[in-house]
Amino acid sequence: MIPGPPPGMNTTLAGTLAVLLFAFPLAGCLGNALLGPRLGRRFCNIVGPGVVLAGFVCAVIALVAVLGAHEDAKSTTVTLWSWIDLGVHGLKVNVDITFDPLSVLMCLVITGVGFLIHWYSVGYMEHDESPWRFFSYMNLFIFSMLLLVLAADLVILIIGWAMVALSSYLLIGYYYDRPSAVAAARKAFITQVIGDVALYIAAFMIVTNLKVPSLQLPTIFANAGDSFTQGGGLITGICVLLAIGAFAKSAQFPLHTWLPDAMEGPTPVSALIHAATMVTAGVYLIARFHTLFDLAPIAQGVVACVGMGTAVMAGIIALSQIDIKRVIAYSTMSQIGLMIFAVGIGAYSAGMFHFATHAVFKALLFMAAGNVIHALHDEQDIRLMGGLGITMRRTELCFLSGSLALAGIPIWAGFFSKEELLGLGSLHGPWAPTLYAVGVGVNILTGIYAFRLFYTVFRGTPQTARTYAAHEAPPSMLMPVAILAIGSFVAGWALLLGIPGVVGRFFLADFLDPVFTANGGHLISEPSQGAALATVLIGTAGSLIGAGLARQWWYQRKPDAQAVAGRVPRLLTQLSLHKFYFDELYDALFVKPTRRLARELRTVVEPEYADGWVESIGRAATSLSETFRMLQTGRLRDYATGMLVAASAFVVVLAVIVR
Amino acid sequence: MIDIQVFPLLLGLSAAMFTIGSVGVLVRRNPLVVLMSIELMLNAVNLAFVDYGRFLNSEDGQIFTLVVIVVAAAEAVVGLALVSQVYRAGRELDIDDLSEMRE
Repeated sequence: MIPGPPPGMNTTLAGTLAVLLFAFPLAGCLGNALLGPRLGRRFCNIVGPGVVLAGFVCAVIALVAVLGAHEDAKSTTVTLWSWIDLGVHGLKVNVDITFDPLSVLMCLVITGVGFLIHWYSVGYMEHDESPWRFFSYMNLFIFSMLLLVLAADLVILIIGWAMVALSSYLLIGYYYDRPSAVAAARKAFITQVIGDVALYIAAFMIVTNLKVPSLQLPTIFANAGDSFTQGGGLITGICVLLAIGAFAKSAQFPLHTWLPDAMEGPTPVSALIHAATMVTAGVYLIARFHTLFDLAPIAQGVVACVGMGTAVMAGIIALSQIDIKRVIAYSTMSQIGLMIFAVGIGAYSAGMFHFATHAVFKALLFMAAGNVIHALHDEQDIRLMGGLGITMRRTELCFLSGSLALAGIPIWAGFFSKEELLGLGSLHGPWAPTLYAVGVGVNILTGIYAFRLFYTVFRGTPQTARTYAAHEAPPSMLMPVAILAIGSFVAGWALLLGIPGVVGRFFLADFLDPVFTANGGHLISEPSQGAALATVLIGTAGSLIGAGLARQWWYQRKPDAQAVAGRVPRLLTQLSLHKFYFDELYDALFVKPTRRLARELRTVVEPEYADGWVESIGRAATSLSETFRMLQTGRLRDYATGMLVAASAFVVVLAVIVR
Repeated sequence: MIDIQVFPLLLGLSAAMFTIGSVGVLVRRNPLVVLMSIELMLNAVNLAFVDYGRFLNSEDGQIFTLVVIVVAAAEAVVGLALVSQVYRAGRELDIDDLSEMRE
């Protein structure tokens, strides 16, 4: 008996699940858009979250199937249909999808956290005029994101990649009567397109240089080792371009300026797209293309440095922002910087682990902030809050759970994922121990800004009378937040069951590692038990110091935060306040010259050069028509004469000339 | 059996009818007469078709003739309908006067 291939996931099941995962959100998108205005708010409130819940069920079934698959057959690729097929050596695009631990983890987070955010939106958008439009866009986003993570074909991946940018654009500009929202949407989209172009060029370079030209990701990864030389210039270029695509999507330096502005969108959008899922697509992209990145150590180094650099920069900026959503946005940027750092040093599982926990606690923070904003009637300035713990006890508790997780306080989710990631960073990556030290600095910063927000918003004395009038959020907005609050407490243990090298078994790594060892990939070594324990202790100390400083400055006010700010170099506070002047820089470098060029073209080139010849064509046509117009007399007999003469001439020509 | 001499004579008759018809179309101003003249031209052509068909011992000429008759009937219907509508509108039946389509 011939031993067959190890039993993987049933392909029929995989195909069905994929179709269902795509069909539910797409049906929700179309149903809300077409039937919503007719059937009303109740319909949208049921269908919008309902389809995402259905998607979550599918994702759970997929998880069970992948867990049950054989160790060597964790990845199942199914062709749903052949989209473009131009012969044997021609272009071939299949709608292929892959179920493997990586894509299933992404699907679970997208649909799971996504469902809770949709549920929350029911309450948050209660007074909105067009919930059908909102839920239609949200479902479209879920569909696009699932397409992106399940794609096993480069073209399909790029379609999903572009579609998430589209739905992000639609949702940032959801309040289209606000000029600032429209400008923010445009800014986000243009930045995304820069990344898209880099991704397209990388895709072309991959396909044209591959030994076996193919657009299918499994084929690309299987042949990458033969086609590219380890550390060669070509593969480095490809990976840097891929990384630029990832940076644009994940709001990393230098393409990060769109994320804070994206907070113009409704708060559930910030939670779903700009915290939990879309902005982490860059992390996913690098993890998915790990086979290529493993071949390009220089590109990996660039990714790691950019990630850590962004983490520090965003952490510093978050210290001085006064808009509650912008603080959380910068903290998102900072945390994604850590994930990018992790995938840059090759710690893919650790990066994805932080992605999963971050999705939970960051969505929680955004939605709890949404409760606050809602209760204060769209007030977002934290200087006008304070003391909200009096009236919003439950929201405060949830926000506290999220802050503890964000700051990386032990036994909350963020602690496990961040320490895991930093511990690996102490051994690997460029200038290994240095970047780790910077990471500990990021821990301190995270603790400070996380608890600055908590203390200024929920503790202290109320700054305005509105605080006393604030009401706790309704259950539909409180329940999802509470679930995530529990989640951000237990997600760390659930996914980890111990810290590698210290205690227990790293469950998530066991789950994900087959993805990263495929195609000749190798896992980076873990620190020894003693070193791991040391890094965990140092990192935790950093987090605790940060949280403690925040308590001292913004709660006990001994010394007061303002006094502390006066003592640090003025340059640093100015940089923090003005977001490192990136907006001003880009404005001067790109926006202003472009506008000037457009104005010059409009006032000089167009009237003097372009209009001249365009109008002369028009004049020529007019004068020609004046001549021909005389033929049209309107008299029947003239036409009959013309016909007769022409017919006779035709006969004569036939008879005399042609014969 | 028809004498071979008949064919050119019939062709001549057809040519004469066609000429009369075309002159009628060109010179008359009453649309009814113009329609009649067109009918005359069509029938001149029909005669030529039948004549040639017989001369070449083929049925194609007669088939064509049937097609032309059908088309002529349709054309007459449309033409007469237009004429009657113009008349009902209280207009004078003069094709030189009916020249609004110039604008």
